Amino acid sequence: MAEVSYVNASRIYPGNPIPAVNDLNLEVGDGEFMVLVGPSGSGKSTALRMLAGLEDIDTGEVRISGKDVSNKPPKDRDIAMVFQNYALYPHMTVAENMGFALKLKGVPRSQRDTRVREAAKLLDLERYLDRKPKALSGGQRQRVAMGRAIVREPAVFLMDEPLSNLDAKLRVETRANIAALQARLGTTTIYVTHDQVEAMTMGHRVAVLKDGELQQCDTPRALYDRPANAFVAGFIGSPAMNLKTVPLTEGGAKVGDLLVPLTRTVLDAAKAASLSEITIGIRPESFKVSTDEAGLALHVDLVEELGADAYVYGTAHLGDTDEQVVVRVADRAVPEMGQTIRLTVVPDETHVFSPASGERLG
Amino acid sequence: MTTTTTPPVRRAGDPPAAAPGRRPGRLRKSWDKYWYAYAMVTPVVIVLGVLVFYPLIRGVLLTFTNATTRNIGNPRFDRPGTYRNIGLDNYTNILSNQDGQFYKVLVRTVVWTGSCVLLHYVIGLGLAVMLNREMRGRTAYRVLLILPWAVPAFISAFAWRFLFNEQGGLINTALGWVGLGPVSWLGQSNLILLSVIIVNVWLGVPFMMVALLGGLQSIPAEQYEAAEMDGASPWQRFTNVTLPGLRSVSMTVILLGTIWTFNMFPIIFLIARSNEYAQILVTYSYNLFYNGQLARSATYGVIILSLLVIFATGYRRVLRKQGEVW
Amino acid sequence: MAAIETTVVRSTASDTTARPGGIRPSRRRRSRPASIALHAGLITASFIAIFPVFWVLVTSFKPTADAYSTALWRNFTFENYSSVLDSRFPRWFLNSVIVAMLTMALGVFISATCGYAMSRFRFPGYRPLMWLFLLTQMFPVAILIVPIYNIMTRLGLIDTYWSLILAYCTVAVPFCSYLLKGYFDTVPIEIDEAGRVDGLTPFGTFWRLIVPLARPGLAVTAFYTFLTAWGEVAYASKFMTSEKQYTLAFGMQVYVGQFKTEWGDLAAASIMVTVPALVVFYVVQKYLVSGLTAGGTKG
Repeated sequence: MAEVSYVNASRIYPGNPIPAVNDLNLEVGDGEFMVLVGPSGSGKSTALRMLAGLEDIDTGEVRISGKDVSNKPPKDRDIAMVFQNYALYPHMTVAENMGFALKLKGVPRSQRDTRVREAAKLLDLERYLDRKPKALSGGQRQRVAMGRAIVREPAVFLMDEPLSNLDAKLRVETRANIAALQARLGTTTIYVTHDQVEAMTMGHRVAVLKDGELQQCDTPRALYDRPANAFVAGFIGSPAMNLKTVPLTEGGAKVGDLLVPLTRTVLDAAKAASLSEITIGIRPESFKVSTDEAGLALHVDLVEELGADAYVYGTAHLGDTDEQVVVRVADRAVPEMGQTIRLTVVPDETHVFSPASGERLG
Repeated sequence: MTTTTTPPVRRAGDPPAAAPGRRPGRLRKSWDKYWYAYAMVTPVVIVLGVLVFYPLIRGVLLTFTNATTRNIGNPRFDRPGTYRNIGLDNYTNILSNQDGQFYKVLVRTVVWTGSCVLLHYVIGLGLAVMLNREMRGRTAYRVLLILPWAVPAFISAFAWRFLFNEQGGLINTALGWVGLGPVSWLGQSNLILLSVIIVNVWLGVPFMMVALLGGLQSIPAEQYEAAEMDGASPWQRFTNVTLPGLRSVSMTVILLGTIWTFNMFPIIFLIARSNEYAQILVTYSYNLFYNGQLARSATYGVIILSLLVIFATGYRRVLRKQGEVW
Repeated sequence: MAAIETTVVRSTASDTTARPGGIRPSRRRRSRPASIALHAGLITASFIAIFPVFWVLVTSFKPTADAYSTALWRNFTFENYSSVLDSRFPRWFLNSVIVAMLTMALGVFISATCGYAMSRFRFPGYRPLMWLFLLTQMFPVAILIVPIYNIMTRLGLIDTYWSLILAYCTVAVPFCSYLLKGYFDTVPIEIDEAGRVDGLTPFGTFWRLIVPLARPGLAVTAFYTFLTAWGEVAYASKFMTSEKQYTLAFGMQVYVGQFKTEWGDLAAASIMVTVPALVVFYVVQKYLVSGLTAGGTKG
């Protein structure tokens, strides 16, 4: 069983008052594909490297298969890592690169060759076994880096932004391949990326980090439907969720001319915190263009037509300020630039957060 | 994906088709494109041509004569030369060891070059690896260790000569403190070769160290981490990541170091003078020159040059085969 | 929306639990003994590096009679310095300074333009040219000294500064062009293109944009040409025939007699010769690593 856990793990760089990773608690199940996602500086790579043994763990511990590995050097942790820049050994052939770790362990030649060839077959690298890295394309090198990890048959795969050096088309293709590979091999995988699309499409569960702290760890669907705080809400989903701070009234939230009804739970939570304003989050697809004159007035600035649907960027007057709002229009009747349209909100699809702490209310 | 902010704009008309006519010749094209380059490079080529290649040719021609200072003409005094052409006699003379010196000096030169370059490289690499780590006083160490490079060769020669002096030199005095007898470092024995090797190593290590340090810093840290993950011990990381990563720098500095050491004149000349146990090809050649044997001196020069060219070509070929781009 | 098993975690301040085993060994900090060994090695090496020069310095302040003493301090005196300065030495110093500075200026300029041309233009014939430059490194002094001497005589340059300056340039420029080409190769060509778009001629681009960016490489070149000129012995011994034109390299031979060496004077003179080299070195040293890397490693 290869579960991974972070238990109160922290990493503080000397001389820096703010921890790079602050008190991380995370459980990854056996065979699970866990994605760590967040903006740069969020601590996701640091957390991965702590698990790898490439970073010190200042407090807390990390466990693999139930055992505390915090004091063990990387080679004793039964892990394999795919680096962002691949870190292939330039003077060795592909076959030698992939077989290097086995050679160091003393695995006999024939066994080594078999394993290397199997991995190469899995990754479609058989033709390249005798080439050196500099004779390979970016995508091929990436596959060699993966092959190097697979050959070791570790308990856990660690991947540090392996797709960020590939061009867009290749990235989409490789994303699917990695996910399929992991499903086939069934190895526990921790995957770091800054791209939320990768996170949403590849992971069984996704952990969102910001400034070294875990914001939420959930399935992609749950992150999308019930973000735990304003940061997660704004980070997941593209175009980003509209997050506006608006005044609270008896019936609900006053968004411009529109009164958005809120559930009892939310209103109670808001009252308990003595809030007069709340941050309301409405996804672009949760707005409806209303046919009558009621609703939030939006002055259309820009329309992006993507074929099947369109995104309308406009300005709405909320309180005393003009705010940008993004709305998805799913049918072909698309408003024009300069027009003013009226919007209503689908009732159950709003998210409410505290303006001060960003935490979800209700 | 279309945006409806601005209506699509038609570009201005395509540039007119190239006028039909004669295509410029290749030389002309090359000139047009590159004349700046040629302009920048010409001064160097001219100066080199006049001051290096022309003398080289003259020097080579001289080797086919029996010129000495006595029979060579002096344009200033309008004295015509009376030397004559003797074909390849100089070469056969030397290479067949008729003067009994050539092979002895050649072997010594090879020993000199080999040991110096080896020591330069190993010590330079060791120091570079040490300096590559973060530690306090790193900059200070680096400055101090590069110092010998800044000292002019002849000063080092004198300084070491002073230290090696048999009667009062510090080295012998220090040996005396621990009860060892005075050593004739600069005397008539093979020991003098050791002494000059020590001096040359002292002089040449900083250059190697700096070049290798630069090379070390260009090895990405990720490779070390990958090796660590693969289970490599520190020594295995050194042989599998550091040394291969340093290959191109190493090849360059070893080539340069070999050439420079082979031709290293001041150290031996100033420390050993005409001591026959220390002569290498260049100094032997200079001594011939000094004694007026112009043609023979030049002959040695040509032989030296040929040896180095052969070495460099062979070196290059070996490198090419191993995949380096040179 | 079905409630899927979620693990929403808030980061809270946790109490630090006592860890068995005490302090965890850090990756970064090397162990005590290793640290000591490292510093010991470097200190020994540094000592060996500076000791000879240091000893000469110490000796220069002792009278020649005491030159061999092992004390750091014996009859401290300036007499060596004054004796040296009273002789032809200052004149030789001036000669060396002039020759070295001019060589440096000319050498850097020519190497830079040449290296730049080879880096940017890849004109036909540039590869053989580069190889040729490397080749000139291999020429031993002996083979060239006679013909160059003859040429200099014919040009009437013997016993003038220019004979040495030109000779030193032939030694230094090829190597430095080679070095600088490698260095310029690391400056992205987009900068040149931006300069051209802004309306600069190739030379203007070179002078105003690339040169400032190539400081480390130029520093190494300046250093190398200066030192070559400052310390060269063979040509200096032949091309300057009158005593007042000698450069330091040759002039100092005077202290090294056939049988007895004036150690005191020699030491003082050595120090005075070394100091300018050290000054140039100090100014340039922080560039040496980067300047040499970029130049020396590229083929």
